[in-house]
Amino acid sequence: MSPELTDQTKKKIEEIASRYASKEAALLPVLHLVQHEKGFISQQEEKQVAHLLNIKPIKVKEVVTFYTMFNQKEVGKYHIQVCSNLSCSLLGSESLIDHLKNKLGIEIGETTSDKKFTLMTVECLGACEQAPCMMINFDYFGNLDKEKIDNILDNLE
Amino acid sequence: MAKILIDERECDVAEGTTILKAAESAGLQIPHLCYHKAFMPEGSCRMCLVEIEGLPKLELACSTQVRDGMKVSTKSESVIEARKGVLECLLADHPIDCPICDKAGECKLQDYYEEYGLFESEFNEEKEKRQKKIEIGKNLLHDQERCVLCRRCVRFLDEVTKTRELGVFQRGVHAEVATYDGILVDNNYSGNLAELCPVGAITDKDFRFKTRTWFLQSRESICTLCSRGCNIYVESHQGFSRFSLPKRVYRIQTRENQMINGFWICDKGRYDYSYLDQERLDKIVVNNSEDPQSWQEITSIVAGEIGRLFHMKRSSHIGLILQSWLSNEELFLIDKIFRNDINIGKISFLDPPEESSDDFLLTAERTPNRRGAKEIGFDLQPADWEKFLEDVDLLFVFASPIKGDTDFSPLKAALDKIEKTVLFASHNHEINSLFDMVLPMSLIAEKGGSLTNIVGSVQGFSPALDAPGNCKPAWQFLVDLAKKLMINFDFYNQFSSPESIREVMKKEIPYFREEHE
Repeated sequence: MSPELTDQTKKKIEEIASRYASKEAALLPVLHLVQHEKGFISQQEEKQVAHLLNIKPIKVKEVVTFYTMFNQKEVGKYHIQVCSNLSCSLLGSESLIDHLKNKLGIEIGETTSDKKFTLMTVECLGACEQAPCMMINFDYFGNLDKEKIDNILDNLE
Repeated sequence: MAKILIDERECDVAEGTTILKAAESAGLQIPHLCYHKAFMPEGSCRMCLVEIEGLPKLELACSTQVRDGMKVSTKSESVIEARKGVLECLLADHPIDCPICDKAGECKLQDYYEEYGLFESEFNEEKEKRQKKIEIGKNLLHDQERCVLCRRCVRFLDEVTKTRELGVFQRGVHAEVATYDGILVDNNYSGNLAELCPVGAITDKDFRFKTRTWFLQSRESICTLCSRGCNIYVESHQGFSRFSLPKRVYRIQTRENQMINGFWICDKGRYDYSYLDQERLDKIVVNNSEDPQSWQEITSIVAGEIGRLFHMKRSSHIGLILQSWLSNEELFLIDKIFRNDINIGKISFLDPPEESSDDFLLTAERTPNRRGAKEIGFDLQPADWEKFLEDVDLLFVFASPIKGDTDFSPLKAALDKIEKTVLFASHNHEINSLFDMVLPMSLIAEKGGSLTNIVGSVQGFSPALDAPGNCKPAWQFLVDLAKKLMINFDFYNQFSSPESIREVMKKEIPYFREEHE
């Protein structure tokens, strides 16, 4: 169980909701806010958001599970998302993913035991010109190779 | 108005009509899975693609509105090709387990494959394995492999019951319909989901593996379990020549009537149908003996008893206890015979007690025709039974077909003391043995007539089932009895059917003229 949303977060949610004609319309920005504050959206958060926006929790879950950018469980401090789509695959993302798995000792979708890294694959980051590429949290890294990845990860706290 | 051309057929439709509706009004069917008249177009199944002259791509018939002068083709080569493509994609992710699917025979996906598909499968890959038996409601099971994600179930729970127990989670190939946080579909309209599902993804536990749909005979009827008068189909199985079946009725389905029940029926009306088959009384019982006695003999005996008291000017000693399971026509005949002709003076209703209504279709009244009885002029207040039965010598009782529905205990003590007691019953019941004569009656589903629902709509009905054994519709017995009584022979001699009774009833009681139909 994670702690309840703080009063400050709740206030921000109210503020976001007030910008829309119906509270339900604020669902996406509100979920982004909650994820930003808590790191992920579990059933508990779904219910809290549903309550604040006066909608059924099942509707929140539909949205949370539809969009892959919402995390349903806790992710590590560094959320690594490697593109596995066409351009990146052609330029060797598969072997980079294997390299990351070996280096971190985890499978895709898993988090290291020290909760530092979570490894995921995504379908296209919209940066094919830098293929193969990945995101770590909100930063882009392109034209990757194994050394470059080692370098990037080793420099993370 | 917009004038459009669909497959060379001209149709004039109101501005804003969708192509699909316009086509249907012109008698052209456009295949669709997700679209349902009850809801806004969803546009997710892509089965209804049509070609519109001047537009580069095919458009959805369910959600595209007509424009004046539009030329639509529902049968062009590209449309047929597109339909095949859509079906191929839907079936690539479908288990095609029709031989064990309850929906087979009435499945839209199956029908459309026959009609528009008929391709060889090129899908050599392994099919997605998903769960095939998830409990999603008290009466419902969900097969995720068969689901085509039309969201009809979700929309029903969103818009009609507003309970929203189901949602679509995940996306793409992983998308699935499921419940949330263990909350099952548990509302009084859940059964509609199995019927609404265009494929066999949601199936009804009550019907599951019981029979195949093509064995069922579907006949129009009216639900009698409350006073709403929802329009239904009674679906029965005639049995096989080599062996008979333990029951006739396998399910009740909705029948659209926008004035009464829209597209839906409640779960009580859908599932509580066992009374149609179970514990039926189908023989005449006199003094607790089933020794064969014909209706003719019985009618003579009953007429004799009434006549005797009538001619002795003791009509006031005849008592009649009714239930509003009787049709308008039957209540009209009872009113004519017992109040007008014989003037028995002691008529009262003993209906089952009211239960809670659900503020949608299910009403508090648990009999179908209290309003009809009221319009014919009966007082529906139950009598002070002790006083009512005090000096009764001849008692007629019409009993409820539902066991335990009505409390007959106020009558029990008095029955012994009454000289002659006659029960009209459709079922075996402990009170039957307390009567001198028990006469088997047809149910509403087994006869013709009309009922007046809670808001005063008069609805006609025809037999959906054959009457079992020696059962007789009450109207038939009443006409025969009245003719035997010879008090007003010519009046009753004109009645050969419920319709003929209704014609006269319309003339005599202003309420039953056309406007309430």
